Amino acid sequence: MFDFDATLPLMALQFLVLVAILNAVFFKPMMKALDERNDYIRRNQVEAEERLSKAENLAKQYQAELAETRRQSQSVVAAAQAEAQKIVAAQIAEAQEQSRLQREQAQQELDQQKQEAMTTLEREVDSLSRQILSKLLGAPV
Amino acid sequence: MLSFLSIPSLPLASLEVGQHFYWQLGGLKVHGQVFIVSWIVIAILVVASLLATRNIQRIPQGIQNFMEYAFEFVRDIARNQLGEKEYRPWLPFIGTLFLFIFVSNWSGALVPWKLLKLPEGELAAPTNDINTTVALALLVSLAYFYAGFRKKGLGYFAKYIQPTPVLLPIAILEDFTKPLSLSFRLFGNILADELVVAVLVLLVPLFVPLPVMLLGLFTSAIQALVFSTLAGAYIHEALEGHGEEHEEHA
Amino acid sequence: MNPMIASASVLAAALAIGLAAIGPGIGQGNASGSAVEGIARQPEAEGKIRGTLLLTLAFMESLTIYGLVIALVLLFANPFA
Repeated sequence: MFDFDATLPLMALQFLVLVAILNAVFFKPMMKALDERNDYIRRNQVEAEERLSKAENLAKQYQAELAETRRQSQSVVAAAQAEAQKIVAAQIAEAQEQSRLQREQAQQELDQQKQEAMTTLEREVDSLSRQILSKLLGAPV
Repeated sequence: MLSFLSIPSLPLASLEVGQHFYWQLGGLKVHGQVFIVSWIVIAILVVASLLATRNIQRIPQGIQNFMEYAFEFVRDIARNQLGEKEYRPWLPFIGTLFLFIFVSNWSGALVPWKLLKLPEGELAAPTNDINTTVALALLVSLAYFYAGFRKKGLGYFAKYIQPTPVLLPIAILEDFTKPLSLSFRLFGNILADELVVAVLVLLVPLFVPLPVMLLGLFTSAIQALVFSTLAGAYIHEALEGHGEEHEEHA
Repeated sequence: MNPMIASASVLAAALAIGLAAIGPGIGQGNASGSAVEGIARQPEAEGKIRGTLLLTLAFMESLTIYGLVIALVLLFANPFA
């Protein structure tokens, strides 16, 4: 069982040959393949990360544009509302002015007619009083 | 010495320990059965590697997937022991240690070698033979000496007298106990496993040995892991130096 | 073979295995107990604890295996036979 003989050095030699063979046909190609795969994965990951950051930038930009547009539209709406308000106010003012003018005219006419009526009334009072006088005195003055 | 263990009246199975199928190679005696099985193991490893790396895809499939799993497993062993910076040049050695021992152990446990009759001895796991395990353990010793010299030159010997020269004999003794314990651990575990299975088969030939065989598969895998992990740890120790320097790096 | 040496070898082999199993048995019990405690405390670390435990158990087991190797030497490759 414990007989050492030429098996020992020959086995050692054979094992060294096996190390050399496996190094050539197994370890080196596998190492290369795994390294290449790692490189490939890393490269892809870097690219994907770049693309992701680009997409995020684009999204941010769109967001900003969207916010800008919303603000513009709001300002347009506000402007339109202000315009409409102004027009309404102007029209209301005009209408009020017109009605005021009409009222004043009517007042003037009224005053005039009143005046006229007064003068005619006075004239009539004059003539009536003269008639009353003449009737009372019986004799022309 | 074998006579009191093998019971000749039972023809179902018998224990053969310490019998070898000798080959004569120009005056040198070698254990033929060890080499036959180790060549089969080597063939399995090389063919599997060739099939896996013949047409490498970015998205692995089939055997490439499997061998990549094996590769990452041994790479993790080497990396955990040697660290990210140093493990690459040592990966083939440690990885091959693991793969060879693992496939050897499992081939001994899974392949019914008993069906193939040899004139003498029987086919079994190559790690069942003390020559194989001692050869592997001595290679590990050479590897860590080589690693130390490569990194520090003659300054490598400084680790024997640091932190104090009092420990010099123990430090030298360590260099002998490392390969001894490495080789005996592997050899003993595999041999013990096969012996237990053989004894159980001798007593109850059916079904009862199955759980022990499963335990043997598990032990074999763990022993391959332990052997390669320890090889990595020894090489790392030689690269890093002793004690306090290690603390700095950690 | 001298029957004295044979009987002494068999006894020594039995002692080698038996004594070598005591220490690692206690050690493995301690290690497994601590591992179970650790898993109960921190169930999410189970995988890591189990891996370390198996490796440690293999190391302790190898101490018994050394005894087994000595026993095998005594039985099958006895230097005094």
